Amino acid sequence: MSKIVSISGIQVTQKDFHQIIIRGNGSEKFNNIIEEKTSIKPPSINLEIKYDSNYLFGKNSPDQWSLILTGKKNHNQILNLVSSINVNEDLLASDYSYGQVYFEIHGENKDEFLNKLTHFDLREEKFPKGTMAQTILARVDCSIYNLGNKYLITCNKSFEDYFQKRFKDSANLN
Amino acid sequence: MTAINNECPYISKNKINFTFDGKNLPAYEGDTIASALLRNNIRLVGRSFKYHRPRGIYTCGIEEPNALVQILSEHNEPNTRATIKRVYDGMEISSQNRWPSLKFDLGAINNILSPIFSAGFYYKTFMGPKGFWKNIYEPLIRKSAGLGKPPKNFRSKSIHQYHNTDIVIIGGGLSGLITARKFVNTKYKVLLIEQDSFLGGILKNSNKVDSINGISPLEWIKETEELLSDSKNITILKNTLVTTYNFTNHLVALEDKYSGRKIDLKKSELTLHKIRTSLTILSNGHIERFISFRNNDLPGVMLASSFEKYIHRYGVIPESKPVIFTNNSSTFSLLKSMTSLGYKPEAYIDSRKKDEIETEIKKFLKNNNITSYFDSEVEGCDGNKKVEKITIRNGKNYFKLNSSMLCVSGGFNPDIHLFTQSKGLVKWDKLIASFKPDTSFQRTLTLGSVSGNYNFKKLCDEINQKLSFLKTKKANLEIKCNVTNKFSLRELWETKKKKNSNWSKSFIDLHNDVTINDLKQAITEGFDRIEHLKRYTTNSMGTDQGKISSINSLALVSKLLKKEIAEVGTTTYRPPYAPLSFAAIAGRSTYEFYDPERKTSIHSWHLENNAVFEDVGQWKRPWYFKANNDETMHQAVQRESKMLRQGAGILDGSTLGKIEIKGRDALEFMNLMYTNAFTKMKPMTSRYALMLGEDGMIKDDGIICKISDQHFIATTTSSGAPKVLADMEEYLQTEWPHLQVYLNSITEQFSTFNISGPKTRDIMARVFPHIDFSNEAFPFMTFKNFDYQDTKIRIMRASFTGELGYEIYIPPKYGLELWEKIFSCGKVFNLIPYGTETMHLLRAEKGYIVVGQETDGTVTPLDLNYNWMIGKNKKDFIGKRSLSRPDTARNDRKQLVGLLPINQSDMIEEGQHIVEINKLPNKIKNPIKYLGHVSSSYHSPNLNKSIGLAMIKGGNNLLGQRFFVTVSGNTKNIPVEIVNPVFIDPENKRLTS
Repeated sequence: MSKIVSISGIQVTQKDFHQIIIRGNGSEKFNNIIEEKTSIKPPSINLEIKYDSNYLFGKNSPDQWSLILTGKKNHNQILNLVSSINVNEDLLASDYSYGQVYFEIHGENKDEFLNKLTHFDLREEKFPKGTMAQTILARVDCSIYNLGNKYLITCNKSFEDYFQKRFKDSANLN
Repeated sequence: MTAINNECPYISKNKINFTFDGKNLPAYEGDTIASALLRNNIRLVGRSFKYHRPRGIYTCGIEEPNALVQILSEHNEPNTRATIKRVYDGMEISSQNRWPSLKFDLGAINNILSPIFSAGFYYKTFMGPKGFWKNIYEPLIRKSAGLGKPPKNFRSKSIHQYHNTDIVIIGGGLSGLITARKFVNTKYKVLLIEQDSFLGGILKNSNKVDSINGISPLEWIKETEELLSDSKNITILKNTLVTTYNFTNHLVALEDKYSGRKIDLKKSELTLHKIRTSLTILSNGHIERFISFRNNDLPGVMLASSFEKYIHRYGVIPESKPVIFTNNSSTFSLLKSMTSLGYKPEAYIDSRKKDEIETEIKKFLKNNNITSYFDSEVEGCDGNKKVEKITIRNGKNYFKLNSSMLCVSGGFNPDIHLFTQSKGLVKWDKLIASFKPDTSFQRTLTLGSVSGNYNFKKLCDEINQKLSFLKTKKANLEIKCNVTNKFSLRELWETKKKKNSNWSKSFIDLHNDVTINDLKQAITEGFDRIEHLKRYTTNSMGTDQGKISSINSLALVSKLLKKEIAEVGTTTYRPPYAPLSFAAIAGRSTYEFYDPERKTSIHSWHLENNAVFEDVGQWKRPWYFKANNDETMHQAVQRESKMLRQGAGILDGSTLGKIEIKGRDALEFMNLMYTNAFTKMKPMTSRYALMLGEDGMIKDDGIICKISDQHFIATTTSSGAPKVLADMEEYLQTEWPHLQVYLNSITEQFSTFNISGPKTRDIMARVFPHIDFSNEAFPFMTFKNFDYQDTKIRIMRASFTGELGYEIYIPPKYGLELWEKIFSCGKVFNLIPYGTETMHLLRAEKGYIVVGQETDGTVTPLDLNYNWMIGKNKKDFIGKRSLSRPDTARNDRKQLVGLLPINQSDMIEEGQHIVEINKLPNKIKNPIKYLGHVSSSYHSPNLNKSIGLAMIKGGNNLLGQRFFVTVSGNTKNIPVEIVNPVFIDPENKRLTS
């Protein structure tokens, strides 16, 4: 974990998480396989997320889920989980752990801060707690998860430097 | 002479200093440039656009057509409206569009030559002689065009702020504030936007309102602002001008964050607010219009309400004895303002007949002993760079008055600019003699004077009625006025001219120097449609967009055409409402953030090792590595190429696209997407593959790794990765929805290192001592997975250089550490890092193509002699049918060949043409027969000669023949021989060694 921005009303921290992207048809069979392998039932409503202190499971689209494991894990454990899911030919699991970066945005001004970088409508009625969206932030594709008191933003690892700079720039230029 | 209103509560008593044209002048905090100049009795502020006529301050707001200045202390920002921009201590300002000085401007000769600059002179004057346009007219016009000088070398900072809201109220004047109060502590998220630095609008700009609910306007504004600020659902943006009203209630507004303050270069100066709202409420008021008369542009002519605004807002009485000229009752307020401060106008000229004027006004004029002329008008004014004498026409009599200022009011136009931008329809209102909003196109409401309601007492009723569909409290305010609520007006657009001279002009558009004569001339010449007329004369096409004059011009045109104004219609108001700088539009998408940058996990190592980068899409890829500061690119590439073929080299190939493909029908899907046949391909082997478009042309290439019939990994070109994945998804969803296949982009999940060269195996064996890299255990085009630390890596035996090579795929977290380990192990084998340029040279030596270099969207696999990559027994694949079209099967299509200059040291240029003649004529009169073009060209350090790849018509049959390659800037061509495109190791011995 590293602090990127810490000013009044806004804290941005970068986290080390693991992530698996799962593609499938969302059928009962699919749900059973995932539940069996992960002990978590995948969310069934599009853009819904389930989360607790160890994981965050979001349904990104009708046939795609992201499982972010926030607890400490060995990478091989993740790869083994991916392999065990992939044994079934009806779905595809890919390890996204280190190909993505994870930023948590806290603070009372988090909406205003993020709206310097994205047009996305963060109002509670449009983007309720417990939902996620794939949108553009600082002109880069990213996913944003509304966890109530904070947002989790994930994007491709190659944009890590750029994103850190943009967060800092937005905070400093204000 | 300027006087001071010491009772003005809005101006600070803190003295500051600024400079205008180098002269140090005092001002007060809160002054605009215009109020500060008036405070210093400065009337001459600029020169006009075309005729360089002396110009002063005409208004007190955004509608200003004349007083545009250059702010030297703010990145040399030109064309700044002096009436808006607030001064601060140390601000440096200069006048513009004059030379050598504002007082003595040589450009003023244009005024004498004005007969040749009449309407449409651009179209008539510069017809000949031939060649003059390019060499004389255009350079001359370009040099003299424009007003201010563009800024140079600046790094203006602006940020963008997005908003999603329920209601936007534009304008924080009386109607905007009453409306905003209705939303206090409601469920609606409200944004109140005010262009000025404080709320109140007309309440602060005039003394028209005496009290609201029994308290003074100032107290009421304070109370309202506190109420709004305490309400969590309301946000107030001051110093923010809404410039654009787009479809779907999308608004763009510009906030000047340093209004009246010196810019902090570390902070953003401007914020561009991009707002999406459910409902837009326009309460942006009205704009006073002028009346055209002779020399109505002289410094000293000012709109009456602006004059009043200077008194109340800035405590400056621009002239203690002005002449007032009006056609309506609104100037009553100005009269009262002046007399209450102990001043009175030199004369009051009203074009209305005495019996048309309210008794209250007549009584006031009489009681205050103000010289009044009814049923009279200003014929014109005269003076040297300022108003000195004003000629009045009373019936058939003319007489002159001495005064240095003339306050004019021709009535008020609802400020419909934003409403029409929203595509709302307007209608003509005879009572106010102006257009006002009629039918909204979007969810837009207009309230107050923008809707044509100038009666303060009816304001609450209007607001309550129009907002009745929302759950808000009823506005119930008692507004007591100082002046009449009647808006009696007599249409008057121009006055009769007595004198005619080149100097004397009656302007209809002050900003673009368009005169009434220009309008008349344009109509005479047949431009009788308002949109044509506007463009021909440039009327209302200045940066002020004719805010004070466009309705006047419509009225005049309607008279000239003998039509009703409603018939003539309006021209289109386009965004922005007022100019905004490019810096504001660009936001942070400049300099270091111009385009998002993608970096590989090895980027820091590349930086430390003198990599020179090239942009591949958004990726930063090492182009070549400098061995020392003096090494040139050519030297570096030659060195890297040679050392790799002698020892080993490693390339950061992390940017290559990677797609994971899995599902029951993955094999069938791959067979359809690529030309190659994958059915008989063994698991854990890989194959170079081509992807075509429906037209049979090569779209992308890459290596396909087959894990099983249900599981593949495909690599793509770096820049083609998103498109290939999107195409795959599209085909799955639209063409083959019956296939059960899923895709994931895994480009970012792996750092990829391409290590190749004769010593590679030795290095790999040291890095991974537990892995057998022998030919037998690890043959060419196979891959294996291995445990590495607490992760897994994939190693594939493949090469793009023609040498023995391996590709290592590792999660980026471990990438840098492994990369450094490889270097540590490779040191004894002279392992070097190499960049993309060396990669290109090496692959060209081997005759490998690069998609986008040898191919250009018109090249099939057959053109490259890649017939072997086509699964001939496959039932179908994308582009298959197109490959058998007569055109794609032609023998004389451009085909891939190698080129060798006859003189081995001759360098041929990529992109040059291949022709049959050794020398081009000095002047090409007839087409030269074109055979093809050079697609790649390098000096090969390994062959010690120049080599090239080319696409030549019927190239397969031309091997051994000699042709010529053109040279840029030279008519002498380079002789070349057509050869096989594989220059090194045609037997693939090195690859499979």
